[in-house]
Amino acid sequence: MTTADYSRLPEGFADLETLAQIWARPTENARNVVRYAATASDFAAFHETLFPRLGALLAYLGDCPAQPETAEQRNALMLACAYAEAAPHHELYGGSSEVPFSFDAHRFVADHGDVSV
Amino acid sequence: MQDTIAALDHIRRTVPEIRDELGIDPIPVRAIRDPEIYEIEKEQLFKKVWLKVATAWELPNPGDYKVKELPVADASILIVRGKDGKIRAHHNVCTHRGNKVVPNKGFETYGRARANVVTCRFHGWVFGTDGPLKSVPMEEAFGHLDKSCLGLREIACDEWEGFVFINFDPNPAQSLKDYLGDFATLFGGYPYHESTTAFRYSTVLKCNWKVAHYAFSEGYHVPTIHAGSLPGFRGIEHSDFKLIGPHASSTIYGAGMEAAPSTQVFAGVLHASDAHKPHAEQLPVHINPTRRDDFQFELPNVFPNLLIHLASGCGYPGLSYFTHQFWPLDHGTTLWEGINYFRPARNAAEYAAQVHVNALHRNAWLEDTATMEDTFTGIMSGAIDDMQLMDQEFLIRHAARTLDSYLAGGTQ
Ligand code: FES
Ligand SMILES: [Fe+2]
Repeated sequence: MTTADYSRLPEGFADLETLAQIWARPTENARNVVRYAATASDFAAFHETLFPRLGALLAYLGDCPAQPETAEQRNALMLACAYAEAAPHHELYGGSSEVPFSFDAHRFVADHGDVSV
Repeated sequence: MQDTIAALDHIRRTVPEIRDELGIDPIPVRAIRDPEIYEIEKEQLFKKVWLKVATAWELPNPGDYKVKELPVADASILIVRGKDGKIRAHHNVCTHRGNKVVPNKGFETYGRARANVVTCRFHGWVFGTDGPLKSVPMEEAFGHLDKSCLGLREIACDEWEGFVFINFDPNPAQSLKDYLGDFATLFGGYPYHESTTAFRYSTVLKCNWKVAHYAFSEGYHVPTIHAGSLPGFRGIEHSDFKLIGPHASSTIYGAGMEAAPSTQVFAGVLHASDAHKPHAEQLPVHINPTRRDDFQFELPNVFPNLLIHLASGCGYPGLSYFTHQFWPLDHGTTLWEGINYFRPARNAAEYAAQVHVNALHRNAWLEDTATMEDTFTGIMSGAIDDMQLMDQEFLIRHAARTLDSYLAGGTQ
């Protein structure tokens, strides 16, 4: 299966392109597929590289419209959304791709799940 | 303003007053366990009271419609904004031979009626979005057809603060205004309609609807069930108890959680924004009346199946309010709907921050829903006949008592 390439980031964020290739996806449902399959070390690597750059990434996105206009802006937003959803797994859930002691996340249907950023 | 506060003084209760009024005895689980009670609930409750089925901002333009399946009333309903701007509800049933006028997928379907008409696909009868039967192919072949009485069957429909309610009773005993009573005053005036960014989740749970409803109606479970998603939760206070006819409410105060580093950064984005920062001043005056800064949200039960948690950005960062609804599909199956409402993000950073807050809250809901099927299995086993309720679970006690009065054929 080939996936579209969402790795190209705005100038100054080349160091995050490998992460973007792994994690950036346009919809919540597509990001969930990546998240459910991730291991503790995947979450740790994502957090350790991205967290120190989060302030800069959000500062850049703060100047972008909520609905991005260029591919670079969109990819940057997809990466930020992926991190927004993945971070708790490292910070709160001990690296588990599931929320511990929870309902089967696959049974939750998100109305917005297939809406692209 | 002072007058309104005085007028609502009667809804405030202390713990001793709540105990006095509602008692402290265990509450029987029979209403959850007995399938026959569900049949009575359908007739005596869900087909009699006002039920929230939509929001006005879901249907912004004339012709916008929503089809909602409501097995609890054996009904499919069509909620549509007419050419005159008014939102109406009709049975989604063709008056020719009963086909669905608007076909649907799943429990909710949205669409836009072109030219303000909907057409039944079976034989092509055309109805105006305001209800009347407009045209019938080969009309002369019916011999006689009184089109004027063959419009879509209307269902009573009214709005409060942009929340659209229906009532299946052809002659509702009360108007929506009277049904909501002081709840409408207590929660009125908040700019709900500004928070149009909605993240909605749903799932079908193998439990009676009241098990799901009750699990979301108390804060007693927070330190235990949410130990994962709300670590180090520093105390929760459930107070400002309010009894409002069939409805009830209380306030959740608390120091909140120790936010994870990423959450602090995302929260910083929202808190720096005028649109998303905590707006205690926008809360209706009777909610958090002393404007305590550890206010998290107000948690009311709008009887029978709606919770509106009003936060105004004070609890979860940027979260304006969130709602839960619990739709019985049958005695032991429930459609749960949870919706997080934010004001629209003005830039991509705010959007990413909202995605984070939404994910945290969705994860907490995954912790909540984990208990429900087990609780129902436990109750169905017959091992317990009662539930033991503490003060923070008074919304459950009140809802159970209100339900009993409806089952007995009365109203509040
Ligand atoms: S059933 Fe609708 S047109 Fe015949
Ligand atoms: Fe909870």
